[in-house]
Amino acid sequence: MTASPANEPFHGLGCNSCGARLNVPPDERTARCPYCASPNIVMRPRADGEDPTFAVGFVLPDNVARERARKWIRGAWFSPGAFLRSDVTAIRGVYVPAYMFTAEAHVKYTVSIGENYVVIETYTTTDSKGRLVTRTRTKTVTEWRGLSGQWASYIDDVFVTASKGLHNTELEAIEPFDTRALKRYSPKLLSGWIAEDPSMTATQCLELARAEAVGQIGHRLSDHMPGDRHRGLKYSTQLVHEDLELILLPIWILAIKYDDESPLVRLLINGQTGALVGQPPRSWIKITVAVLAVLAAIALTVMLGTRGVL
Amino acid sequence: MNTDPSTGATEPLCQRCESPLEPEDLRCAVCALPVPISPLADVQQAVTQILRCNGCGAAVRYLAEIGAPRCDFCDSVMEIETPEDPVEQAEFFVRFAITDEQARKALKRWLGGLGFFRPSDLQSRAAVDALKPLWWVGWMFDAEGTMTWAADSNAGSRRADWAPHSGQAPLRLHNVVVPASRGLTEVECRGLIASYDISNVATQPPHHDRATFEQFAVQRSAARKIISGALEAAARNRAVPLIPGARHRKLSVAVLPTRLVSRHYAFPAYVLAYRYRDKLYRAIVHGQDATCVVGKAPISWARVAAVALAVIALIAVVATIATA
Repeated sequence: MTASPANEPFHGLGCNSCGARLNVPPDERTARCPYCASPNIVMRPRADGEDPTFAVGFVLPDNVARERARKWIRGAWFSPGAFLRSDVTAIRGVYVPAYMFTAEAHVKYTVSIGENYVVIETYTTTDSKGRLVTRTRTKTVTEWRGLSGQWASYIDDVFVTASKGLHNTELEAIEPFDTRALKRYSPKLLSGWIAEDPSMTATQCLELARAEAVGQIGHRLSDHMPGDRHRGLKYSTQLVHEDLELILLPIWILAIKYDDESPLVRLLINGQTGALVGQPPRSWIKITVAVLAVLAAIALTVMLGTRGVL
Repeated sequence: MNTDPSTGATEPLCQRCESPLEPEDLRCAVCALPVPISPLADVQQAVTQILRCNGCGAAVRYLAEIGAPRCDFCDSVMEIETPEDPVEQAEFFVRFAITDEQARKALKRWLGGLGFFRPSDLQSRAAVDALKPLWWVGWMFDAEGTMTWAADSNAGSRRADWAPHSGQAPLRLHNVVVPASRGLTEVECRGLIASYDISNVATQPPHHDRATFEQFAVQRSAARKIISGALEAAARNRAVPLIPGARHRKLSVAVLPTRLVSRHYAFPAYVLAYRYRDKLYRAIVHGQDATCVVGKAPISWARVAAVALAVIALIAVVATIATA
């Protein structure tokens, strides 16, 4: 039995328990046998890719994930009724591939630092009797001074998606993942779960990770600055000793198709911390009714107030 | 790999920051670089595999509730390689150099020298209720690296009181102690640290009739975070003399440590409980230096009130004279 081309399903794989033929999508590392329900792990040749280095195991069990999803759906008051009745049993725990980037950062920066000082200024005004009077007041003035310097630190735990199905902004929305619970990758972790292979190359992800790291450095540099305020921060970053490791992250995914004409709504839950992200649909009828109700209430209050009832 | 010249043993070092790695580390604790692994066995063709229970042979699946694969039939749990997070143990024991009796005398001497605002009979009336020798624990670390800093100082200021400054300097820290004691407070430990002679230490717990050995109260992962915090605090102290001018504010430091090595020490001390006018107080006497005592002592509020009244009276007299 040989490996199928990367873009074709593996038809030739047999269930390791009952021998039934399995249809394994090319980007998945696990398959559950439709006949005996055994959780099979797919072991592929390493030529077409790399094994993950680490994985973060699921901590949130399925019943808790389902309950969180149910609560999120019920909380979407302004969503269509069909969406509020969505079934959450289709939620799936997926090990999503991501790259973990670490590096040593050396930064050169220039910035304007604002140092506040107080001046007493004299002004003229009119007093309660309409006379012109001279008074003093204190005023805070900022003196701007240029500063240039260097900053160096390690950059760790920058995660970027390696899956075309999961946008990096979605991953950022459910971060952080607690890397103290990192486990060395083992097929044992995947048993019984869906595990996706990376669909983005390490080169693509490296660029994404570098951009994210530089963004993080900007935030840390802002915190590093002295003075009362600062502006015009410019910095050039040299990242050395870079390292990019493939990692599997635990994410509960619920795709909701509440009617045929509406787009798919997706909910993602961090399988370790429970943080969730999703954009529930809006029912413009409900929103209009709510706005009208508020306007009616305001109008009623004003009317009653005008008539002296309130 | 780093070779210890005394033992000839080699310990792995991080390839990025050259800090020693523990055998169970998945990543470097200092710079987060993953530790290289022996690759999984190469697979020549696509195959499927089922994870079978070692006990009953049933297929098992990974359970989020326990963080490991568990067999639903016989409850056997399979291990997955994870970073071990043990509670750390002391490796070096600093020896006691003073006796119980010397510790009692040190306390008495300390009580007599606390100054005017203490009760005049404190030294004579204080009675030692309990004396407990113990070894409290802490980490001692060495580190090298680079430190960058930024701060405001009065040097070069114009209209505002402050002007911004920044700098970069190499960082070499040697024998920085970070307390890990649960029994003693941070302040108590800091008061004792400077006086220890660590040139004469034992690698096995020295015999002592009644001394207790404190355990490290935190696990390795938490310890590394505490040490990183201490590293930054130590770097801040090193940065202060580099700031020009007489005054400074808003000091920030960024540290790029390399070769961070930490050791686990147990430091000797006597914990004394003494009673004064039916109230208990605690003092710690250094286990090697009888002149080093830290602790709490009662305040004579009568003396404080007398001084306050005298100051108020003096201000009133000065004000009266000035008015006249």
